[in-house]
Amino acid sequence: MLRFMIQRSLVALAVAVTVSVASFLLLHLSGDLATAIAGPEATSVQVEAIRVQYGLNQPLLAQFVAWAGRAIQLDFGNSFYFRERVIDLLAARLPITLFLGVVALAVALFVAIPLGVLAAVKRDTWIDRAALSVSVLGQAMPSFWFGLTLIMIFSVNLRWLPVSGNTTWKHYVLPAVALGYYAMPAVMRLTRNGMLEVLASDYVRTARAKGLPPRKILIRHALRNAVIPVIALAAVQFGFMLGGSIVIEAVFSLQGLGQLAWESIARNDFPVVQAIVLVLAMIYIALTLAADLLNAALDPRLRQ
Amino acid sequence: MTGPTDAAASLPAARSPTALALRRGLHHGGFLIGAGILGIILLCALAAPLIAPHDPYAQDVSRRLIPPIWQQKGTWEHVLGTDKLGRDYLSRLIYGSQISLLIGIAAAAISGVIGTTLGICAGYFGGRVDAVVSYVVTTRLAMPVVLVALAMASLVGGSLKVVVLVLGFLLWDRFAVVTRAATRQIRDQDFIAAARATGFSLVRILFQEVLPNILNALIVVATLEMAHAILLEAALSFLGLGVQPPLPSWGLMIAEGKPYMFFQPWVITIPGVALLVLVLAINLLGDGIRDVTAPEGRR
Amino acid sequence: MANGTRARHGSALRAALTLLMLAPSAPAFAGKANDTLVYASDTEPENVSPYHNSAREGVILARNVWDTLIYRDPKTGTYQPMLATAWTWIDPVTLELTLREGVTFHNGDAFGPEDVAFTFNYVLTPDARTVTKQNVDWMKSTEVVDAHTVRIHLKTAFPAALEYLAGPTPIFPAAYFKKVGLDGFAKAPVGTGPYRVTAVENGRGVKMERFAKYWPGSPIGSAKIGKLEFRVIPDADSRMAELVTGGIDWIWRVPSDQADQLKAAPNVTVLSAETMRVGFLQFDTLGRAAANSPLKDARVRQAISYAIDRKAMVDNLVRGGSRVMNAACFIDQFGCTDEGVPRYAYDPAKAKALLKEAGYPDGFEIDLGAYRERDYAEAVIGYLRAVGIKARLNYLRYAALRDLIRGGKVSIAFQTWGSFSVLDVSAFTGVYFRGGDEDLTKDPETIAALQAGDGATDPAVRKVKYAEALTRIAGQAYALPLFSYSTNYAFTSDLTFTAQPDELPRFYAAQWK
Repeated sequence: MLRFMIQRSLVALAVAVTVSVASFLLLHLSGDLATAIAGPEATSVQVEAIRVQYGLNQPLLAQFVAWAGRAIQLDFGNSFYFRERVIDLLAARLPITLFLGVVALAVALFVAIPLGVLAAVKRDTWIDRAALSVSVLGQAMPSFWFGLTLIMIFSVNLRWLPVSGNTTWKHYVLPAVALGYYAMPAVMRLTRNGMLEVLASDYVRTARAKGLPPRKILIRHALRNAVIPVIALAAVQFGFMLGGSIVIEAVFSLQGLGQLAWESIARNDFPVVQAIVLVLAMIYIALTLAADLLNAALDPRLRQ
Repeated sequence: MTGPTDAAASLPAARSPTALALRRGLHHGGFLIGAGILGIILLCALAAPLIAPHDPYAQDVSRRLIPPIWQQKGTWEHVLGTDKLGRDYLSRLIYGSQISLLIGIAAAAISGVIGTTLGICAGYFGGRVDAVVSYVVTTRLAMPVVLVALAMASLVGGSLKVVVLVLGFLLWDRFAVVTRAATRQIRDQDFIAAARATGFSLVRILFQEVLPNILNALIVVATLEMAHAILLEAALSFLGLGVQPPLPSWGLMIAEGKPYMFFQPWVITIPGVALLVLVLAINLLGDGIRDVTAPEGRR
Repeated sequence: MANGTRARHGSALRAALTLLMLAPSAPAFAGKANDTLVYASDTEPENVSPYHNSAREGVILARNVWDTLIYRDPKTGTYQPMLATAWTWIDPVTLELTLREGVTFHNGDAFGPEDVAFTFNYVLTPDARTVTKQNVDWMKSTEVVDAHTVRIHLKTAFPAALEYLAGPTPIFPAAYFKKVGLDGFAKAPVGTGPYRVTAVENGRGVKMERFAKYWPGSPIGSAKIGKLEFRVIPDADSRMAELVTGGIDWIWRVPSDQADQLKAAPNVTVLSAETMRVGFLQFDTLGRAAANSPLKDARVRQAISYAIDRKAMVDNLVRGGSRVMNAACFIDQFGCTDEGVPRYAYDPAKAKALLKEAGYPDGFEIDLGAYRERDYAEAVIGYLRAVGIKARLNYLRYAALRDLIRGGKVSIAFQTWGSFSVLDVSAFTGVYFRGGDEDLTKDPETIAALQAGDGATDPAVRKVKYAEALTRIAGQAYALPLFSYSTNYAFTSDLTFTAQPDELPRFYAAQWK
């Protein structure tokens, strides 16, 4: 197990380094940085001064090392547009996106897990098929269109929930649903398959033979075992959600990290974009590493 | 009295796996529906110039936002109404199917080639190659797709070509994972060993022995990624960095209709439903193919 | 359609909107109850300092937070004393102003001649990186004469100076600015205006409250509403929804379609007004953006001019009092005229013929940059496509587009210009055709005519020279003026608000009913 942990961690580290390089290149591919920092009004003398000041005349490798050193200390420089530190901008918006992701995941889990259990228990009945159909339908919907439709129905027509912004908890309901439903089918199927496997296992058969009430079997024994891989999947899905939040945040004007990323892309504010790509990637890497370790801890077969 | 030859004669004639699968498919509801709908949409796309009532680019600003035929101000001349610049919505919908299908197929093809190559190599050679490919896949998975696609599109400028290339170079991960797993499964089987023993070249083994046997899994993934690409293009176009106006991409049509969604909701509902139906059809087809070609894996 | 059915459709809409309003709304931090007027717009000025952004939203903030030396009465058009009580031209290049006493800045500093001199000299220095150079670079230097007097030295005679001193030239506090620098000032700006800034929140907006010690006797009077908040909401539909549900009190630039719908809402007042803003297509005449750019040929530019049905756009898309413009200026500006200026009626056949003559019988592909009212740009693209020109839309934020245009990377730019509300043709035509950063043509004849017009002191001479320049611009189709913009304001019915054509909402004059 320890060997597995070390191996996986090394891979994660290698991936992190690669992503940093890609992220670094992204910034430097976007054009002449010195001109971008100096602004359109600057003279060529001023641009040269900036070039020296920021070390942009150094070889690329030296720049990367310097940048990486600063990045580890969470110093990503200043935004071209806001003239504020990138890290400050990120710190202000990250909690919103994280909160959205957590709520979206919670929504997905609270709907999908019971559905999966139900589908497994009532296997091959209309309930099973209905649950599957709903999830298949859900995965075919473009998330932004789903979000817009939710706004039309729940904000404008029914007036239950606000249209945009991020000040109260109500502002997160529709975005969470629009973001979370995409993860539901995968979670539901995994739960269902896991449940089916466990329900057919000797362990459960023995419990039934012993005369334990079916509900107790279901919850105490079957669910607990079936849910664990789901948790690992959930960690991965959370990572996806962080990345996919761009579209939802744009539709609902949530002013989170995703929307900042999109606006920065539109404004060619590449220090911000680069930092966001890096931060999201690191979170995802950490989550998948945790998911891998969790899965391996529980299922020795996966340790190779 | 029956002898071995009689027993042999009484066996049904051997059928190819494909024929068997197709036979099963004809009884599989999802497969039929998916194939049927996809077929219709494909037909629309191919016959667009023949069946579209108007030129999808012909604008007439004096006839803007006419509602569809089922609303009061609707007219048969524009069955699904007109958009904000007076362009016929039905025609744009039909021509939009071309774009969605084109992007779906092209992106799936590109990512399929990339991912399958990586996956087969990883599965067949194992060891170091496998480790390297795993590392590449994990790296790709770590980068948020939408964000990277947006960033790349903004660097180069959004357009149909850019979208296809960007998506093609980002969506190969599932191909790699699935073909790797499938390749590993058959790598140690007898017929592969036999081929090696016969002295077949590596390329020949990979193309003639391995590939046909993982084709089923490959096709299923291809349909999934095609749907994925279509949805991503819609999202990119919605955000403004995908297909550019005046092309009738369904995602772009939703973006263009957004300002009117409170009072003229059909402007976003129609292209949204179209996307839903197309992606649903592809998903059903994919699920159906998986079910009929590998019934053991079913449920 | 019969009257009956139309009425049914309309009342269904009205019913829907009424239901919208009757349901309990979200907690309102805006509105009459809190004496807070929250207004929303889509662009956040990149810097609150009026010399460091060219967004209209920045101009609005400027008018509410800072004063200028002179005040132009919007109704009579005459110049009134503001921070300056009197002024005289000592000679055509020297203007002496007597300054008002007893004015304080928001931070308590007393206003004096050093502040005027510092502000105007500072914005001319290259280190200041002023974005709105054309508003100030007619000045050479400013000096303090005595405790109540300053002198502004001009580079050349420029009679429009008074107009500029009444507009985009606010006065900064010298001591405070020197202490905190531009970055500090941008985070906590200080002025002498009726509102003072209490918070600048990047990405969110600006909060202001009434300045209790605003100097009495100001032509604009003290503010009547206690708190003012500018909120940045980039999405038009969100803004509209927020207004309708009571989250904000005032929006503008509502597209005509939505304005019509909002008129049915019971708690919303809709106001339509023409503005000074003119939309026009600026052509890359020098051909820098593309190799062998077709736009170098005047016939191509003329073809484009014939291809667009501006009247149809005005009648169906823009509406609300907008007018087709034929000269490269806003028709009501001094010096602007379209008499004798070549006109381009909508004639796609002629456009195609011209294209064929110029060697493009099958049209060509080109890029078109725009930053607002995407619909108008797309309509233009549609018209171009009908004559064979396939234009690719490059839709960007204003600052990004501006940089690209100045760098010569845009072939056709869908520009709009509000002239900073200056009612003089130099504020429009001069900006785009007098050889400055925004001039993509740099035509010597045009530049000479404009310079002559700017420098002449006799108004009749000015008019003749400007007419010359405008005729040449139209004849050569260096740019295609499209139409004046109308804008629709929508605000809570609790508010009394009037609009001026200069697109400058005067919130200090607004009050609750």
